[in-house]
Amino acid sequence: MASHPEKPEVPDEKLVRRAQRGDMIAFEGLVARHRDKIYARAFSMMRNEDEAVDLSQEAWVKGWQRLKQFQGESSFVTWMTRIVINLCLDQLRKQKRQRAESIEQLDEELGGVERQMPTVTVNPTEGLERGELRARIDRALNQLSYEHRTVLILHEFEDLEYKEIAKRMQCSIGTVMSRLFYARRKMANLMASYKREELS
Amino acid sequence: MKAEQQLKLQAWVDGELAEGEARQVAELVRVDKEAQAIVGELRLAKSILAGNELEAKLPESTQFYWNKIQREIERLGKPEVASRPASWVFSWRRLLVPLSGVALIAFLSVLSMNLFHYTAVDEGLKHLVEVENLSEHVGSISYKSQSENMFVVYLYNKEQEAEKDPELEPMDDTLVQ
Repeated sequence: MASHPEKPEVPDEKLVRRAQRGDMIAFEGLVARHRDKIYARAFSMMRNEDEAVDLSQEAWVKGWQRLKQFQGESSFVTWMTRIVINLCLDQLRKQKRQRAESIEQLDEELGGVERQMPTVTVNPTEGLERGELRARIDRALNQLSYEHRTVLILHEFEDLEYKEIAKRMQCSIGTVMSRLFYARRKMANLMASYKREELS
Repeated sequence: MKAEQQLKLQAWVDGELAEGEARQVAELVRVDKEAQAIVGELRLAKSILAGNELEAKLPESTQFYWNKIQREIERLGKPEVASRPASWVFSWRRLLVPLSGVALIAFLSVLSMNLFHYTAVDEGLKHLVEVENLSEHVGSISYKSQSENMFVVYLYNKEQEAEKDPELEPMDDTLVQ
Protein backbone atom coordinates (compact mmCIF):
# COMPACT_ATOMS: atom_id res chain seq x y z
CA MET A 1 0.00 0.00 0.00
CA ALA A 2 1.37 3.40 -0.93
CA SER A 3 2.07 5.63 2.05
CA HIS A 4 0.24 8.94 2.34
CA PRO A 5 2.51 11.87 1.41
CA GLU A 6 1.75 13.70 4.67
CA LYS A 7 3.18 10.88 6.75
CA PRO A 8 6.51 11.87 8.24
CA GLU A 9 8.24 8.71 7.00
CA VAL A 10 8.05 10.09 3.46
CA PRO A 11 10.92 12.60 3.35
CA ASP A 12 10.53 16.01 1.73
CA GLU A 13 13.10 15.10 -0.93
CA LYS A 14 10.99 12.22 -2.15
CA LEU A 15 7.80 14.32 -2.24
CA VAL A 16 9.67 17.07 -4.08
CA ARG A 17 10.94 14.64 -6.72
CA ARG A 18 7.43 13.32 -7.24
CA ALA A 19 6.00 16.83 -7.41
CA GLN A 20 8.68 17.77 -9.94
CA ARG A 21 7.31 15.02 -12.16
CA GLY A 22 3.87 16.65 -11.91
CA ASP A 23 2.42 14.73 -8.94
CA MET A 24 0.06 17.21 -7.29
CA ILE A 25 -0.78 14.89 -4.41
CA ALA A 26 2.87 14.92 -3.41
CA PHE A 27 2.84 18.72 -3.57
CA GLU A 28 -0.29 18.81 -1.43
CA GLY A 29 1.65 16.75 1.10
CA LEU A 30 4.40 19.38 1.16
CA VAL A 31 1.86 22.17 1.59
CA ALA A 32 0.18 20.32 4.48
CA ARG A 33 3.53 19.73 6.13
CA HIS A 34 4.95 23.27 5.89
CA ARG A 35 1.86 25.50 5.66
CA ASP A 36 2.28 26.98 9.16
CA LYS A 37 5.94 27.87 8.74
CA ILE A 38 5.37 29.63 5.42
CA TYR A 39 2.31 31.42 6.76
CA ALA A 40 4.16 32.41 9.94
CA ARG A 41 6.98 34.02 7.97
CA ALA A 42 4.49 35.99 5.87
CA PHE A 43 2.64 37.05 9.01
CA SER A 44 5.80 38.13 10.84
CA MET A 45 6.65 40.43 7.96
CA MET A 46 3.20 41.74 7.04
CA ARG A 47 1.58 41.80 10.52
CA ASN A 48 -1.76 41.20 8.84
CA GLU A 49 -3.56 37.86 8.81
CA ASP A 50 -5.37 38.23 5.47
CA GLU A 51 -2.30 39.48 3.64
CA ALA A 52 -0.21 36.69 5.16
CA VAL A 53 -2.70 34.04 4.00
CA ASP A 54 -2.84 35.50 0.48
CA LEU A 55 0.92 35.89 0.14
CA SER A 56 1.68 32.45 1.54
CA GLN A 57 -0.78 30.93 -0.95
CA GLU A 58 0.84 32.89 -3.76
CA ALA A 59 4.20 31.54 -2.60
CA TRP A 60 2.94 27.95 -2.87
CA VAL A 61 1.63 28.58 -6.38
CA LYS A 62 5.00 30.10 -7.38
CA GLY A 63 6.76 27.20 -5.70
CA TRP A 64 4.81 24.73 -7.84
CA GLN A 65 5.55 26.67 -11.00
CA ARG A 66 9.27 26.92 -10.25
CA LEU A 67 9.68 23.47 -8.78
CA LYS A 68 11.85 22.41 -11.70
CA GLN A 69 14.40 25.04 -10.64
CA PHE A 70 14.72 23.58 -7.15
CA GLN A 71 18.01 21.69 -7.14
CA GLY A 72 18.10 20.72 -3.47
CA GLU A 73 20.96 23.06 -2.54
CA SER A 74 18.95 24.10 0.52
CA SER A 75 16.05 22.30 2.17
CA PHE A 76 12.71 22.59 0.44
CA VAL A 77 11.20 24.60 3.30
CA THR A 78 14.12 27.08 3.20
CA TRP A 79 13.60 27.46 -0.54
CA MET A 80 9.86 28.06 -0.01
CA THR A 81 10.59 30.54 2.80
CA ARG A 82 12.81 32.57 0.45
CA ILE A 83 9.94 32.71 -2.05
CA VAL A 84 7.46 33.99 0.52
CA ILE A 85 9.99 36.54 1.84
CA ASN A 86 10.49 37.94 -1.65
CA LEU A 87 6.74 38.20 -2.18
CA CYS A 88 6.32 40.00 1.15
CA LEU A 89 9.16 42.41 0.34
CA ASP A 90 7.54 43.22 -3.01
CA GLN A 91 4.24 43.83 -1.30
CA LEU A 92 5.79 46.01 1.40
CA ARG A 93 7.60 48.06 -1.24
CA LYS A 94 4.31 48.60 -3.09
CA GLN A 95 2.61 49.69 0.12
CA LYS A 96 5.46 52.03 0.94
CA ARG A 97 5.21 53.69 -2.44
CA GLN A 98 1.50 54.18 -1.90
CA ARG A 99 1.76 55.96 1.43
CA ALA A 100 3.31 59.38 1.75
CA GLU A 101 6.60 59.27 3.60
CA SER A 102 6.72 61.70 6.47
CA ILE A 103 9.89 63.23 7.84
CA GLU A 104 9.43 61.19 11.04
CA GLN A 105 9.41 57.95 9.08
CA LEU A 106 12.66 58.79 7.34
CA ASP A 107 14.15 59.92 10.62
CA GLU A 108 13.15 56.65 12.25
CA GLU A 109 14.77 54.63 9.49
CA LEU A 110 18.01 56.46 10.07
CA GLY A 111 17.80 55.91 13.81
CA GLY A 112 16.67 59.42 14.78
CA VAL A 113 14.75 58.36 17.91
CA GLU A 114 16.93 55.35 18.71
CA ARG A 115 20.03 57.54 18.92
CA GLN A 116 18.63 59.19 22.02
CA MET A 117 17.74 55.95 23.82
CA PRO A 118 19.69 54.77 26.85
CA THR A 119 21.78 51.62 26.49
CA VAL A 120 20.08 48.56 27.98
CA THR A 121 22.53 46.71 30.19
CA VAL A 122 20.30 44.40 32.26
CA ASN A 123 18.41 41.57 30.55
CA PRO A 124 14.73 42.65 30.67
CA THR A 125 13.50 39.15 29.85
CA GLU A 126 15.06 37.29 32.73
CA GLY A 127 12.64 34.93 34.47
CA LEU A 128 10.06 35.09 31.71
CA GLU A 129 8.46 31.88 30.53
CA ARG A 130 9.03 31.09 26.86
CA GLY A 131 5.42 31.77 25.87
CA GLU A 132 5.45 35.18 27.55
CA LEU A 133 8.85 36.00 26.08
CA ARG A 134 7.65 35.15 22.58
CA ALA A 135 4.51 37.23 23.05
CA ARG A 136 6.60 40.23 24.13
CA ILE A 137 8.97 39.82 21.19
CA ASP A 138 5.97 39.73 18.89
CA ARG A 139 4.55 42.85 20.50
CA ALA A 140 7.88 44.64 20.10
CA LEU A 141 8.24 43.55 16.47
CA ASN A 142 4.79 44.99 15.88
CA GLN A 143 6.00 48.39 17.07
CA LEU A 144 8.97 48.54 14.73
CA SER A 145 8.87 50.13 11.30
CA TYR A 146 8.70 47.59 8.51
CA GLU A 147 12.31 48.31 7.52
CA HIS A 148 13.57 47.63 11.04
CA ARG A 149 11.35 44.59 11.52
CA THR A 150 12.29 43.04 8.17
CA VAL A 151 16.00 43.44 8.69
CA LEU A 152 15.72 41.85 12.14
CA ILE A 153 13.68 38.92 10.82
CA LEU A 154 16.05 38.27 7.95
CA HIS A 155 19.15 38.49 10.12
CA GLU A 156 18.04 36.87 13.37
CA PHE A 157 15.44 34.36 12.22
CA GLU A 158 16.57 33.57 8.68
CA ASP A 159 20.32 33.84 9.40
CA LEU A 160 21.01 35.87 6.28
CA GLU A 161 24.26 37.83 5.97
CA TYR A 162 24.30 41.61 5.44
CA LYS A 163 25.07 41.19 1.73
CA GLU A 164 22.14 38.83 1.17
CA ILE A 165 19.73 41.10 3.09
CA ALA A 166 20.88 44.12 1.05
CA LYS A 167 20.20 42.22 -2.16
CA ARG A 168 16.74 41.18 -1.08
CA MET A 169 15.77 44.57 0.35
CA GLN A 170 17.32 46.36 -2.64
CA CYS A 171 19.44 48.70 -0.55
CA SER A 172 23.11 49.12 0.33
CA ILE A 173 24.96 47.03 2.93
CA GLY A 174 25.49 50.27 4.90
CA THR A 175 21.72 50.80 5.08
CA VAL A 176 21.22 47.22 6.25
CA MET A 177 23.83 47.71 9.00
CA SER A 178 22.29 50.97 10.09
CA ARG A 179 18.75 49.58 10.13
CA LEU A 180 19.85 46.48 12.00
CA PHE A 181 21.72 48.51 14.59
CA TYR A 182 18.80 50.77 15.39
CA ALA A 183 16.30 47.92 15.19
CA ARG A 184 18.25 46.06 17.85
CA ARG A 185 18.52 49.14 20.03
CA LYS A 186 14.79 49.76 19.75
CA MET A 187 14.00 46.12 20.42
CA ALA A 188 16.13 46.09 23.58
CA ASN A 189 14.52 49.31 24.80
CA LEU A 190 10.99 48.10 24.08
CA MET A 191 11.65 44.91 26.03
CA ALA A 192 13.01 47.01 28.90
CA SER A 193 9.89 49.20 28.81
CA TYR A 194 7.62 46.11 29.02
CA LYS A 195 9.59 45.02 32.05
CA ARG A 196 9.03 48.43 33.67
CA GLU A 197 5.32 48.18 32.85
CA GLU A 198 5.21 44.80 34.57
CA LEU A 199 6.90 46.14 37.68
CA SER A 200 4.82 49.30 38.03
CA MET B 1 30.99 57.32 19.68
CA LYS B 2 30.59 57.87 15.96
CA ALA B 3 27.88 55.99 14.07
CA GLU B 4 30.53 54.40 11.85
CA GLN B 5 32.30 52.92 14.88
CA GLN B 6 29.02 51.64 16.30
CA LEU B 7 28.26 49.83 13.06
CA LYS B 8 31.73 48.33 13.10
CA LEU B 9 31.08 47.02 16.60
CA GLN B 10 27.90 45.42 15.35
CA ALA B 11 29.68 43.87 12.36
CA TRP B 12 32.18 42.41 14.83
CA VAL B 13 29.36 40.95 16.96
CA ASP B 14 27.83 39.43 13.82
CA GLY B 15 31.13 38.00 12.62
CA GLU B 16 31.09 40.06 9.44
CA LEU B 17 34.56 41.64 9.79
CA ALA B 18 37.79 40.50 8.20
CA GLU B 19 40.37 39.04 10.58
CA GLY B 20 42.60 42.12 10.84
CA GLU B 21 39.71 44.49 11.45
CA ALA B 22 38.12 42.10 13.92
CA ARG B 23 41.34 42.14 15.99
CA GLN B 24 41.30 45.95 16.10
CA VAL B 25 37.65 46.03 17.22
CA ALA B 26 38.28 43.35 19.85
CA GLU B 27 41.03 45.54 21.27
CA LEU B 28 38.72 48.57 21.30
CA VAL B 29 36.05 46.59 23.16
CA ARG B 30 38.63 45.44 25.69
CA VAL B 31 39.63 48.99 26.67
CA ASP B 32 36.57 51.16 25.89
CA LYS B 33 33.61 51.15 28.32
CA GLU B 34 31.18 52.72 25.85
CA ALA B 35 32.08 50.10 23.25
CA GLN B 36 31.53 47.40 25.88
CA ALA B 37 28.06 48.77 26.68
CA ILE B 38 27.05 48.85 23.01
CA VAL B 39 28.35 45.36 22.36
CA GLY B 40 26.51 44.16 25.50
CA GLU B 41 23.23 45.61 24.28
CA LEU B 42 23.64 44.19 20.78
CA ARG B 43 24.37 40.73 22.18
CA LEU B 44 21.39 41.02 24.53
CA ALA B 45 19.04 41.84 21.64
CA LYS B 46 20.46 38.94 19.64
CA SER B 47 20.08 36.47 22.50
CA ILE B 48 16.50 37.59 23.28
CA LEU B 49 15.45 36.93 19.70
CA ALA B 50 17.37 33.70 19.17
CA GLY B 51 14.89 30.85 18.75
CA ASN B 52 12.03 32.88 20.19
CA GLU B 53 9.97 33.77 17.19
CA LEU B 54 6.23 33.47 17.78
CA GLU B 55 4.86 30.43 15.99
CA ALA B 56 1.83 31.70 14.10
CA LYS B 57 -0.70 29.09 12.96
CA LEU B 58 -2.57 29.25 9.70
CA PRO B 59 -6.03 30.63 10.58
CA GLU B 60 -7.93 28.36 8.18
CA SER B 61 -8.27 24.65 7.54
CA THR B 62 -5.61 22.91 5.49
CA GLN B 63 -8.19 21.60 3.04
CA PHE B 64 -9.68 25.04 2.40
CA TYR B 65 -6.20 26.55 2.06
CA TRP B 66 -5.04 23.81 -0.33
CA ASN B 67 -8.19 24.02 -2.46
CA LYS B 68 -7.48 27.68 -3.16
CA ILE B 69 -3.87 26.89 -4.07
CA GLN B 70 -4.92 24.01 -6.31
CA ARG B 71 -7.50 26.12 -8.12
CA GLU B 72 -4.90 28.78 -8.82
CA ILE B 73 -2.36 26.23 -10.01
CA GLU B 74 -4.91 24.70 -12.36
CA ARG B 75 -5.96 28.11 -13.60
CA LEU B 76 -2.39 29.02 -14.46
CA GLY B 77 -1.63 25.72 -16.14
CA LYS B 78 0.67 22.81 -15.55
CA PRO B 79 4.38 23.29 -14.92
CA GLU B 80 7.00 21.87 -17.23
CA VAL B 81 7.73 18.32 -16.21
CA ALA B 82 11.30 17.96 -15.00
CA SER B 83 13.60 16.89 -17.78
CA ARG B 84 15.15 13.42 -17.67
CA PRO B 85 18.58 13.62 -16.07
CA ALA B 86 21.40 13.21 -18.58
CA SER B 87 23.03 9.89 -17.87
CA TRP B 88 26.19 8.51 -19.46
CA VAL B 89 24.03 6.32 -21.69
CA PHE B 90 22.41 9.40 -23.25
CA SER B 91 25.77 11.14 -23.59
CA TRP B 92 27.25 8.09 -25.32
CA ARG B 93 24.27 7.76 -27.59
CA ARG B 94 24.80 11.28 -28.86
CA LEU B 95 28.31 10.28 -29.82
CA LEU B 96 27.40 6.87 -31.17
CA VAL B 97 24.81 8.10 -33.66
CA PRO B 98 27.28 9.97 -35.90
CA LEU B 99 29.90 7.25 -35.36
CA SER B 100 27.56 4.54 -36.51
CA GLY B 101 26.82 6.68 -39.58
CA VAL B 102 30.52 6.91 -40.40
CA ALA B 103 30.90 3.15 -39.91
CA LEU B 104 27.99 2.52 -42.24
CA ILE B 105 29.51 4.75 -44.92
CA ALA B 106 32.80 2.88 -44.68
CA PHE B 107 30.98 -0.44 -44.91
CA LEU B 108 29.00 0.69 -47.97
CA SER B 109 32.12 2.00 -49.66
CA VAL B 110 33.82 -1.36 -49.37
CA LEU B 111 30.66 -3.19 -50.37
CA SER B 112 30.02 -1.05 -53.44
CA MET B 113 33.61 -1.34 -54.61
CA ASN B 114 33.34 -5.11 -54.34
CA LEU B 115 30.00 -5.08 -56.14
CA PHE B 116 31.33 -3.05 -59.04
CA HIS B 117 34.31 -5.36 -59.14
CA TYR B 118 32.02 -8.35 -59.30
CA THR B 119 29.92 -6.56 -61.98
CA ALA B 120 32.89 -6.52 -64.23
CA VAL B 121 33.57 -10.17 -63.56
CA ASP B 122 30.08 -11.58 -63.31
CA GLU B 123 27.15 -9.78 -64.97
CA GLY B 124 24.70 -11.89 -62.93
CA LEU B 125 25.53 -10.06 -59.74
CA LYS B 126 25.01 -6.51 -61.04
CA HIS B 127 21.50 -6.00 -59.51
CA LEU B 128 22.36 -7.45 -56.12
CA VAL B 129 22.74 -4.17 -54.34
CA GLU B 130 21.22 -4.75 -50.96
CA VAL B 131 22.31 -2.79 -47.95
CA GLU B 132 21.60 -4.13 -44.50
CA ASN B 133 21.47 -1.37 -41.93
CA LEU B 134 21.97 -2.70 -38.42
CA SER B 135 21.83 0.64 -36.64
CA GLU B 136 18.67 1.41 -34.68
CA HIS B 137 19.45 5.15 -34.76
CA VAL B 138 20.44 5.71 -38.37
CA GLY B 139 18.18 4.93 -41.29
CA SER B 140 19.38 4.66 -44.91
CA ILE B 141 17.96 4.87 -48.41
CA SER B 142 20.14 3.68 -51.27
CA TYR B 143 20.00 4.27 -55.00
CA LYS B 144 22.13 2.65 -57.68
CA SER B 145 22.46 3.61 -61.32
CA GLN B 146 24.43 1.23 -63.49
CA SER B 147 24.30 3.54 -66.48
CA GLU B 148 25.81 6.43 -64.50
CA ASN B 149 28.08 4.09 -62.61
CA MET B 150 26.76 5.74 -59.44
CA PHE B 151 25.71 4.56 -56.03
CA VAL B 152 24.02 7.03 -53.61
CA VAL B 153 23.15 6.39 -49.97
CA TYR B 154 21.04 8.82 -47.91
CA LEU B 155 21.51 8.58 -44.16
CA TYR B 156 19.11 10.08 -41.62
CA ASN B 157 18.63 10.15 -37.86
CA LYS B 158 15.59 7.99 -37.14
CA GLU B 159 14.88 9.49 -33.68
CA GLN B 160 15.07 13.11 -34.74
CA GLU B 161 12.87 12.56 -37.67
CA ALA B 162 10.31 10.70 -35.62
CA GLU B 163 10.18 13.57 -33.10
CA LYS B 164 10.15 16.47 -35.54
CA ASP B 165 8.94 15.64 -38.94
CA PRO B 166 7.28 12.55 -40.22
CA GLU B 167 8.88 13.18 -43.57
CA LEU B 168 12.37 11.86 -43.93
CA GLU B 169 15.06 14.40 -44.45
CA PRO B 170 18.59 13.36 -45.30
CA MET B 171 21.03 13.78 -42.42
CA ASP B 172 24.01 13.09 -44.59
CA ASP B 173 24.49 12.41 -48.25
CA THR B 174 27.06 9.96 -49.43
CA LEU B 175 28.06 9.54 -52.98
CA VAL B 176 30.03 6.49 -53.90
CA GLN B 177 31.24 6.24 -57.39
